[in-house]
Amino acid sequence: MINQDVFSDATQMKGTGETMIELEGVDKFFGEFQALKHINMRVGKQEVIVVIGPSGSGKSTMIRCINRLEKHDHGRITVNGIDLSDDIKNIQEIRKETGMVFQQFNLFPHLTVIDNITLGPRQVRNVPKKQADELAMDLLNRVQIPEQAQKYPGQLSGGQQQRVAIARSLAMNPQVMLFDEPTSALDPEMIKEVLDVMQELATSGMTMIVVTHEMGFAREVADRVVFMADGEIVEVGTPEHFFTNPEEDRTKLFLSQIL
Amino acid sequence: MTTTVPRQAAATGPARALAWARKNLFSTWYNSLLTVVFGAFIVWAAIRLVGFLFDIDTTIIRVNLRLFVAGRFPNDQLARLWIGGYITCAGIGLFARAIVRNAEFKAIDAGMAFDRAGWRAVTRRFWPLLMLFAVILGFTRTILPTLLTLLAIVVGIAAFLLGGMLPRGVARRSWLIPIVGTIAFYLAVAGFGGVGWNDWGGFFLNIVLTIAGITLAFPLGLMLALGRRSTLPVVRYMSVTYIEFLRGVPMITLLLMGAFALGFLIPGDRQFSLFLRLLIAITLFQSAYIAEVVRGGLQSVPKGQVEAAQSLGLAPWKTMRLIVLPQALRNVIPAMVGQFISLFKDTTLVFIVGLLDLLRAAQISTAQSEFQAQGLQAVTLPFAALFFWVGCYVMSRESRRLERKLGVGER
Repeated sequence: MINQDVFSDATQMKGTGETMIELEGVDKFFGEFQALKHINMRVGKQEVIVVIGPSGSGKSTMIRCINRLEKHDHGRITVNGIDLSDDIKNIQEIRKETGMVFQQFNLFPHLTVIDNITLGPRQVRNVPKKQADELAMDLLNRVQIPEQAQKYPGQLSGGQQQRVAIARSLAMNPQVMLFDEPTSALDPEMIKEVLDVMQELATSGMTMIVVTHEMGFAREVADRVVFMADGEIVEVGTPEHFFTNPEEDRTKLFLSQIL
Repeated sequence: MTTTVPRQAAATGPARALAWARKNLFSTWYNSLLTVVFGAFIVWAAIRLVGFLFDIDTTIIRVNLRLFVAGRFPNDQLARLWIGGYITCAGIGLFARAIVRNAEFKAIDAGMAFDRAGWRAVTRRFWPLLMLFAVILGFTRTILPTLLTLLAIVVGIAAFLLGGMLPRGVARRSWLIPIVGTIAFYLAVAGFGGVGWNDWGGFFLNIVLTIAGITLAFPLGLMLALGRRSTLPVVRYMSVTYIEFLRGVPMITLLLMGAFALGFLIPGDRQFSLFLRLLIAITLFQSAYIAEVVRGGLQSVPKGQVEAAQSLGLAPWKTMRLIVLPQALRNVIPAMVGQFISLFKDTTLVFIVGLLDLLRAAQISTAQSEFQAQGLQAVTLPFAALFFWVGCYVMSRESRRLERKLGVGER
């Protein structure tokens, strides 16, 4: 019932106006448990969506469905005009277009930082080594750790690792970036360096969906904030609307608990 | 003031030893009793051992040395084995240098310093092998083998130095060296009317079975481990059946099967030789164990690694080859080398079905008319054991080195 309203005025898609990601009636079950209940969402090109909500509300599951790390059971998912189907070729096309950053970084520990970044371009896009290395150094400059290129992930701090992980995703030149609680595993003093990189990315016009508990980031960077609870999208709105004048009781309760 | 320091230390030395003994050896009446009883036993055993070592008559080893090392290799063909040895030395020298050179190039590319291990470090690393060679040469009756061995060392060093001149492209293809070397070795020993593997024997046979067994069983085990995790039920169940069946029978059973029953299972008139049938039995048996070791490694790689690779759009087999397998194999180096060590020692079991390996050589030498019934197993078996100990100890040390180098245990 609520879900049908998400496209109405206050919740209108931002960005360039073209659609980048579309979810229509997406359901996801883990056995008997329904993790996603009929999710409808449209994300515009260059739009930044921040998804918040209590743990277990299906936030991570939703973005993991978008690049098929989880298989949704019903409904349609479209990314940049590509319909997500069971075909492995099709899935890989979508994965090339969507970068993902994980809570636990998931850098490849047996590869150096620069090899972590060049792996995707070289193995998936067949970029020559020299060119891939140049691209990687550009990206490391962008996330401000070019001096760490030859180190192994285990030798870096958490914040540095997460910035490498962002650079690794960007190396594939994705159309969309998905962030799954990128700062939740970080020590407090390292959160800012990662958020700064993400903010810079948002400013550059990247389409982003960010699952996070960082309300400051949501308020400053998000075009729209999506509040999820119990596998449903409860409320969608601009940050001003969302943090000053939430409509739903569940949103009010959640905000009162965390703010 | 500095002069008083040694005197003080000397004065406290015996006193400290006494205090240590009182605390650790004589703390209670029953500890004292145990100390006295076991102390007496150790002293008695040491005296017996020293007496034995001085009393030992090593004629049996001198006479049978060739039997121990190479079995009944024909005398007039022995030069082939030496040439094979030279090829091995040259191959190892060249390969070692090529690996070092590759690491150098990598370090240069990364703009990092690279220091090579010196000769002293290498000697320290392989001292058990050098000791074994010294012991063997100590039992030779003429000076010729010693000279030929020294020449082999010279060949190895020359190949190593030659390897320093390898251009980049060749160094990168250094994996070709063991393959070409093995073929050259085989041709030198068996080719052109030489001695085929059916007549190989002694410790040489144990080494050949070990190397061939590892080379064949490892890829097979790897495929079985992957098969066990396959999403295709047919592949999965076949792998599971294979692994569980072969792990469920003693290796000796398989060797006996290989020796006496495998022939009936192979259609046609063409028969494999005993050597080949036993090698097949060893490979089948070991691959099942290796598969389980690899499976343990595959399970140790976190799920997030696969997800990260997938989210980059990496194809499934590339994810396995570039992300999962390198980490999985690195994590199981200790277990894997343990398996290889056990394979090495298990090659002695082939003596049961009649191949003349080192253990069998040790046994039949004590049955020769001049040596029989003199309790000379006490000489030949420790001598045979020394060969295996050296092989196992070197493998185990190299495994620990590799672990340290690849940083197992640190993430």
